[in-house]
Amino acid sequence: MLFSVGDFFEQRFVISEMVYNSFLQTFKDQNPLHTQADFAVLHGFRDKVMHGNILNGFLSFFIGECLPTKNVIIHSQEIQYKKPVYLHEELNFTAEVTGVYESVNAIEFKFGFKNTDGQMLAKGKFQIGVLK
Amino acid sequence: MEKEDILAAVNAIFVDVLDNEDIKVGYETIANDVEDWDSLTHIELVVAIEKHFKIRFTSQDIMRWENVGEMIDCILRKI
Repeated sequence: MLFSVGDFFEQRFVISEMVYNSFLQTFKDQNPLHTQADFAVLHGFRDKVMHGNILNGFLSFFIGECLPTKNVIIHSQEIQYKKPVYLHEELNFTAEVTGVYESVNAIEFKFGFKNTDGQMLAKGKFQIGVLK
Repeated sequence: MEKEDILAAVNAIFVDVLDNEDIKVGYETIANDVEDWDSLTHIELVVAIEKHFKIRFTSQDIMRWENVGEMIDCILRKI
């Protein structure tokens, strides 16, 4: 098996203008929280808040491109958002293998996105299948 | 743990994974008897059962199962 419990991975992501604008253009979520700084500030945030699902895009990249094998498929994922994420923010992503189920070729991970101050922005878990 | 207790625990796992309170599996139940018990759900079920009973199956174990009863016999041998 390619994976063992405790295997640890790290990746750095940045929410660039390109990532943000691509998400906006692709999915059309123009909610003012994500597009108007004054609206976001009025509601207690320091700037417009990035779409939480941008993080799921990074997660998709990690699973599809950064694991030791490309023979993977996502079975499930869960994410909890802990703090807002802002444009140009640098994210330190970590993932750790928490379960290996050889009988069904399934691997379970926990993951987290932290900012450069070490604050947890989002965390969760996902399960992948290793394709034969 | 008795076989009936394992069946009850397995049934609860089926209810949870398939999100269907009406499910009642028995020893003779096969995948075709349960709506939504497809290949992906099967993986979810196996992982949930392994976690619940703190056991690990092998791929050979799983391939031998013809019905829920054989799954439960396999669990009994491992706990």
